[in-house]
Amino acid sequence: MAAGRGGFGIGGPDSELIDEEFVHDTSSPHVAAMVPDLFTHPAPIVDPLRTTTSQAQKETVNECLPFLADCHQPHNDHGVSQLSRPRHAAFVRKWLDQRMSRHFVAVDASRPWFLYWCIESLDLLGEDVSQYGDRLVQTASWMQNPTGGFGGGFGQTSHLATSYAVILALAIVGGGALYDVIDRRAMWKWLSSLKQPNGSFAMATGGEVDVRGAYCAAVIISLLNLPLELAPEHCNPPGFNLYTGLANYVQRCQTYEGGISGKPDAEAHGAYAFCALGCLSILDSPDRIIPKYLDIPRLVSWTSSRQYAPEGGFSGRTNKLVDGCYSHWIGGCWPLVEACLSPGGETDSTTSLYSREGLTRYILNCCQDTTKRGGLRDKPSRLSDAYHTCYVLAGLSSAQHAFSYSEREGLEPWGVSSHTAAEQVFGEVDRVGTLHPVYVIPQSKVVAIKQYFASKSGF
Amino acid sequence: MPSKSKGAPKAKEQANTGSNPSSANPSNINPKTINERSAYRYEVGNPLASKKSEVGGVQGLSPTERATWTNLTYVRKAQDQKRLPLPNKANKDLWKSINESGVPLRGLDELEGLKFPGNKIYDWGRDRAGRDIGEYTPEQFKKRRGKRLRVTQLEVLGRQFQALRRKVGGLATLEDEEIDKERIRREELAKLRMELYGEKTGTYAQDPEWDDIEPVAQVEGEGALASIAYSDDYAEAMSYLRAVMAKKEHSPRCLRLTENIILMNPAHYTVWLYRFSIISSLNISIKNEIEWLNKVSLAHLKNYQIWHHRQLLLDHFYPLFDPVDGQPATADNSEEVKEFALSEMGFLKKMLDEDAKNYHVWSYRQYLVRKLGLWNLSEEIGYVETLILEDVRNNSAWSHRFFIVFSNPAHASSNPEIPATKFDPKVPADVTEREVGYAKRKIEEAPQNQSPWNYLKGVLARGGKKVEEMEEFCLQFVNKLGEAEEEVTSSHALDMLAEAWAEKGEKEKADLALRRLAEKWDRIREGKEKGGHAALIAPAHSYSSATSRSFHPPRPQKNLHSFGARREGRNRSKTDGYPPRAGDESASKARKPGAEHEGAQGE
Ligand SMILES: [Zn+2]
Repeated sequence: MAAGRGGFGIGGPDSELIDEEFVHDTSSPHVAAMVPDLFTHPAPIVDPLRTTTSQAQKETVNECLPFLADCHQPHNDHGVSQLSRPRHAAFVRKWLDQRMSRHFVAVDASRPWFLYWCIESLDLLGEDVSQYGDRLVQTASWMQNPTGGFGGGFGQTSHLATSYAVILALAIVGGGALYDVIDRRAMWKWLSSLKQPNGSFAMATGGEVDVRGAYCAAVIISLLNLPLELAPEHCNPPGFNLYTGLANYVQRCQTYEGGISGKPDAEAHGAYAFCALGCLSILDSPDRIIPKYLDIPRLVSWTSSRQYAPEGGFSGRTNKLVDGCYSHWIGGCWPLVEACLSPGGETDSTTSLYSREGLTRYILNCCQDTTKRGGLRDKPSRLSDAYHTCYVLAGLSSAQHAFSYSEREGLEPWGVSSHTAAEQVFGEVDRVGTLHPVYVIPQSKVVAIKQYFASKSGF
Repeated sequence: MPSKSKGAPKAKEQANTGSNPSSANPSNINPKTINERSAYRYEVGNPLASKKSEVGGVQGLSPTERATWTNLTYVRKAQDQKRLPLPNKANKDLWKSINESGVPLRGLDELEGLKFPGNKIYDWGRDRAGRDIGEYTPEQFKKRRGKRLRVTQLEVLGRQFQALRRKVGGLATLEDEEIDKERIRREELAKLRMELYGEKTGTYAQDPEWDDIEPVAQVEGEGALASIAYSDDYAEAMSYLRAVMAKKEHSPRCLRLTENIILMNPAHYTVWLYRFSIISSLNISIKNEIEWLNKVSLAHLKNYQIWHHRQLLLDHFYPLFDPVDGQPATADNSEEVKEFALSEMGFLKKMLDEDAKNYHVWSYRQYLVRKLGLWNLSEEIGYVETLILEDVRNNSAWSHRFFIVFSNPAHASSNPEIPATKFDPKVPADVTEREVGYAKRKIEEAPQNQSPWNYLKGVLARGGKKVEEMEEFCLQFVNKLGEAEEEVTSSHALDMLAEAWAEKGEKEKADLALRRLAEKWDRIREGKEKGGHAALIAPAHSYSSATSRSFHPPRPQKNLHSFGARREGRNRSKTDGYPPRAGDESASKARKPGAEHEGAQGE
């Protein structure tokens, strides 16, 4: 999600340092045997016309090829690097535990995101996060406003994105003491005040209205089991509730390309596509609601086009570069799209609409900072950060697992299991934790928080 | 205060005590440091102290010495308590004894015989550089003392200023001269505090204008996660911001406060939202604000709060444009709007020069076009064309073109809005033709560029044209498909051909196209191309709904249903009989969803 990006990298290794001659040297039979040539050679068709876009694309391919074809890191028989778990865990712990220097003041309004990104990353890496419970309660309490919602920090205006991040962080650690930090009644009143006549939500009082708002609000409402009626002071047209018109708003964001834009009229973009599908999948079963509001073939065509070869990763928009975080924003669309193509039953786990292998290769070979720094990144020339660490790992989780959707009375409809059908290019030791495809926290944590609030009648 | 000790006792008196401490040596009467001076004064004031420690305590003193010591201690303590609760006779004896001993009544306290580390009599503390103040020369010490006196003096003047301010009923009624004087005093005070104690006085704490605000500091405690070690300036400004926001104060000083914080942290949404609320309530001119905003924007290219702020500004000020003949002012009917639009476009160009795909700039531009009705502004269309000319792969420019052409109220149904991937009967045929032609020409420049292909597909769907009409065009990029000398210069052409052939019912050819994509020309999408979801491979446009019936606005769930709408009115077997491999189990299984959706469609 662009909104949450740290964006405080201070530049990376110069991509010009990568030797083009070396990149195109495919004489090593060893490498060729391990890695399919799809991932070791430039795409079969490259137009000769040079523009800014094609230049950047070419540079990115050249930057990735050495990592894909001839990885110097410990790798398996498929030429895929191992996951540097301890380094990545240490990297995110540092963000949580250590005081950031004054130069990080730019993230002062995004601290709730750091809570979510870091705790979710640790969880995916199989680390124990329960130890953060007390400090999380303390930190989150200061961010909450008596008028409802959480802001970026003490005295900051409540915002849907920061509220979303705080609630998810609390949910991952889990437990009544953490859930009870949330003032649900105030949250409900505040959400009622953000509801827009067009169906969506403003991100904050006076804030922007976009598809992130639609998703964040739906996540909060459904996890906290909030009443759908608007709080009395906001109850304008009769029958208009928190979910009214939400799906229609999402529909208005589908573009001629088939992808989803942040708001009507804009360009299709990966992060918003996930928000749109996530929002719809909360409102109703994906096989009913997604085809009802979106043009599926165009959506699939656009989403599929986000994957590039030889890089294997996803880009966020047409003719933009691959970037590790879209492993989640685009990768996370696939379970939802696949569920909508398999009404009322299991998704066919033998076929995937995207190349899981390609994504896995890009993540493990190109997105890991294997130096002492640790963490995951956009692409090899960029520095790792907490945002990319979280969403690259989430994308890896999605690539490693199969999802099913079946409605059962009172039970969580989403099921997650290991994806076993296709040839697995990653080592079993590198399997990360599982995620709920809509809430992007572990399945069991979704069930736990929903159960907790289901038992609360009223406030 | 030790320094209150009155003058040095006479040397004669000193000799009387019989003690001879080194620091009391006459050669040290001009001590080099303050510590030396203290030691000297101490010895002089407490002639028995050294002896007492030499002989192991009070018990070791001679009876006379002991009496003197006791009396002296008694008097000093009593003096501290401002009373001498002795009967007259005893009082008289006491003073006699003291006077006879020749020991100065006042002197540095004995401190129970203890000295500070380093054998110091008194700990003067350290200055801001960490230097022991006791090691100052008397000259340096005197200077420091002067500064401290000045601090006290300035503080007293400051209190007088506050009193005056209360008396006259606020800052507004005070003479500017008075306020300026206080400002200068506080500057001096801040400088002195920094010099003396290394204490930073915040800009706001220094400013008389902010005296009435009690800042609200951030106190999260030690354990806070993902915390930041804020600079003093930022922390101070934020604590004032919290205070004025809580008061809902909308004033010029708050506007300046927001500017200060934005310059330190432009990603601070709270400050931006607060800033707008101030601007709208003070009715500050949009021109000034936009000029300022432009500078901030160019300095922080990746920032996106600026764009929402800009939109809020325009929403707020737009009603000031005079309506024309009762119609909202647009670039078409109002010179004023046009002029404003052109100045905005000038600025947006600067931003796009830096990053031609900046999502937030483009989103704002789309907002601007709708708000000001720039659909027919030749500068707008021309600019987008220029960008595509510069980089035919700039998808943001393509996307904007689609928007200005197909959302133009002259070309589009507006009630209800028709989804972007669906046929809109209001699109004029010549517009569709023009755009198809434009996309084709751009494809020919670089056939593997997906942007114009997506555009072309979008135009066909919007204009209700069949994909099969593109067969001939696509074939120029695909040669001898399936043969040994097969030549493909655009995988997108091959993909569109698959769609066109499927549409025409030429199943085998479509199958071949998809197979060759999966095998060679677009292998990364093999899963989609070969996969079980045959329903997806069908053409995406809805020409049939265009030709067989009109769009039914009140029932979107039926009409917007992509599968049903697309297939209706066509030979189903053409599409459904079109898995890549006939008879493939997974393919027939995957066809089910499509069938079910069609059932649900019920038309
Ligand atoms: Zn990214």
